[in-house]
Amino acid sequence: MIEFLSVNQGRILGDLEQHLYLSLLPIIIGLVIAIPLGMLAANSRWANAPLLGLSSVTYSIPSLALFIAMPGIIGTKILDPINVVIALSLYTTALLFRSVLDGLRAVPEPVKQASTAMGMRRARQLLTVELPVAIPVVAAGLRVAAVSNISLVSVGALIGVGGLGDLFTYGFQIGSYYYIGSGIVLSVLLALIADVVIVVIQRIATPWTRARAAR
Amino acid sequence: MIEFESVTKRFPGGGVGVEDVSLTIPTGKITVFVGPSGCGKTTSLRMINRMLEPSSGRILHDGQDVAKLDKAKLRRGMGYVIQQVGLLPHRTIVDNVCTVPFLLGRSKARARADAVALLERVGLDPVIAKRYPAQLSGGQQQRVGVARALAADPPVMLMDEPFSAVDPIVRESLQDEFLRLQHDLGKTIVFVTHDVDEAVKLGDQVAVFGGGGRLVQVDAPEDLLGRPRNAFVASLIGRDRGYRRLSFVPARDLPSHDVVTVSTDATTREVHETSERTGKSWVLSVDSDGRPVSWLDGRGDGDDLGRVPVGNTFTDDDSCRAALDGALASPAGLAVHVDADGRVVGGVGHDEIARYVTSLRSAEGGTAEDAGQDAAVEADA
Ligand SMILES: Nc1ncnc2c1ncn2[C@@H]1O[C@H](COP(=O)(O)OP(=O)(O)OP(=O)(O)O)[C@@H](O)[C@H]1O
Ligand SMILES: [Mg+2]
Repeated sequence: MIEFLSVNQGRILGDLEQHLYLSLLPIIIGLVIAIPLGMLAANSRWANAPLLGLSSVTYSIPSLALFIAMPGIIGTKILDPINVVIALSLYTTALLFRSVLDGLRAVPEPVKQASTAMGMRRARQLLTVELPVAIPVVAAGLRVAAVSNISLVSVGALIGVGGLGDLFTYGFQIGSYYYIGSGIVLSVLLALIADVVIVVIQRIATPWTRARAAR
Repeated sequence: MIEFESVTKRFPGGGVGVEDVSLTIPTGKITVFVGPSGCGKTTSLRMINRMLEPSSGRILHDGQDVAKLDKAKLRRGMGYVIQQVGLLPHRTIVDNVCTVPFLLGRSKARARADAVALLERVGLDPVIAKRYPAQLSGGQQQRVGVARALAADPPVMLMDEPFSAVDPIVRESLQDEFLRLQHDLGKTIVFVTHDVDEAVKLGDQVAVFGGGGRLVQVDAPEDLLGRPRNAFVASLIGRDRGYRRLSFVPARDLPSHDVVTVSTDATTREVHETSERTGKSWVLSVDSDGRPVSWLDGRGDGDDLGRVPVGNTFTDDDSCRAALDGALASPAGLAVHVDADGRVVGGVGHDEIARYVTSLRSAEGGTAEDAGQDAAVEADA
């Protein structure tokens, strides 16, 4: 096993790096798009229903179909990793949009009223009160998105860009459980680490949620 | 000064918030809105700082129609304590208090230092400054809410049931602190409550709201208690309004008379002799400075002599309610009248207090009997 790892170090590290890139870049893109969309939906009745519908539809498209259809839709090469990044960004946006919306809606009414009553204008209230108070809900969505992206990237191996998924397909081809096993272990480990990192960041960003528990 | 001019608020679903309210809220005074749940108190308050807009009529602040003012600026000049407190959960207590000063762009260090002083002023321990709202009790949160509304030193305060989440004892001490604070600050305050006791205690002026969001009566508290306009107001202020009203009758002119006193080091025999000579069954023991200590039973046995400590005494600045409380708590039925230094100047019996108050009433032209007045009020409604 150790020998296997040291011999294949280059390949495994390369796949790991690609896996990280393919799964985490969409998280960042998704978050950046989902926050303004969520704020829009929370504040405008007419934008709410269409955006909600769009996000449900997007989330229900099978991932493999999306990976394969992507080059046809945006004219990229079939093996271009950008296909996976864009497809996962769509999923992540759809999922985080719901989280941002839910988080903003869960801000207690008295908190919003008090901010208004003290003379905060709408934009400031959204950015400095409602969004920060929504962080725990958004972070819960981020954890789901991170773990699901990390496992979805492996599916990309079926179209030739899969990060660690590449280890499964190659392992199957040559009948080596070492490749398959290390692919599985590494992707599970990656998901766990990503989850822990998000939890830690959230805790640092929201000291008040710990205060409540400590009361 | 804040003026309501025929203000009506109807909600989109057809619900009536308030109906044709006209009212003047004087500068530097406490105006209390009181009435049963759903009568439009909060709605009226929220129209003052434009959280809600009237359907018709207008509200003037110092002569200017508030509808023409910038909402955010208007609100920053009016401290608002909302009914459900609404502290910002993600900010520490001190930063919650600093919300408006920060919005106004004041220096953070200065604002925080002022905020900590303000926390003390509303009776909170400054150690809580660094905590988060979830770590405070309901009563503490309400005090922070009051401190937050005061932080930018606004001339106007809008307070929606600010003391509702605390038990009666804490509430009373908060009310006392509040009155002390207002005595120093002299702000224009609109205070909402559905507790009549709170309304008459705090208000310079009390506005009673009734069903359908209508204003039923606006009066000084003593006039409200003395002359409820109709059966609704009478029932709101309750059967014991005569007793409540005593709070507004000064004790100064009560027919206080001499009481029989003995020194605290008088012997049992001396006490018995004094009692026999004067025909009083209870005598008052006073210390060497003339301050009352306890009531002694003139026919009591042993060293103890049925000793009852003197509870509440009253001074010229107290009300007849304080005097009556003292008289009812005394075994002799006498309230002890003391001067500013606490020295006994006389006493007055509960029957004498009752006679005095009744005589004031007939002099005012009111009906002597409470029951008679209730009946009259019901008849005219
Ligand atoms: N946003 C709203 N939409 C529809 N109706 C409303 C709205 N806000 C208040 N109302 C109605 O207006 C009336 C007055 O409500 P308001 O909140 O002013 O009462 P309140 O006197 O403050 O009562 P409470 O003592 O319970 O706080 C109530 O009948 C209420 O149902
Ligand atoms: Mg209310």
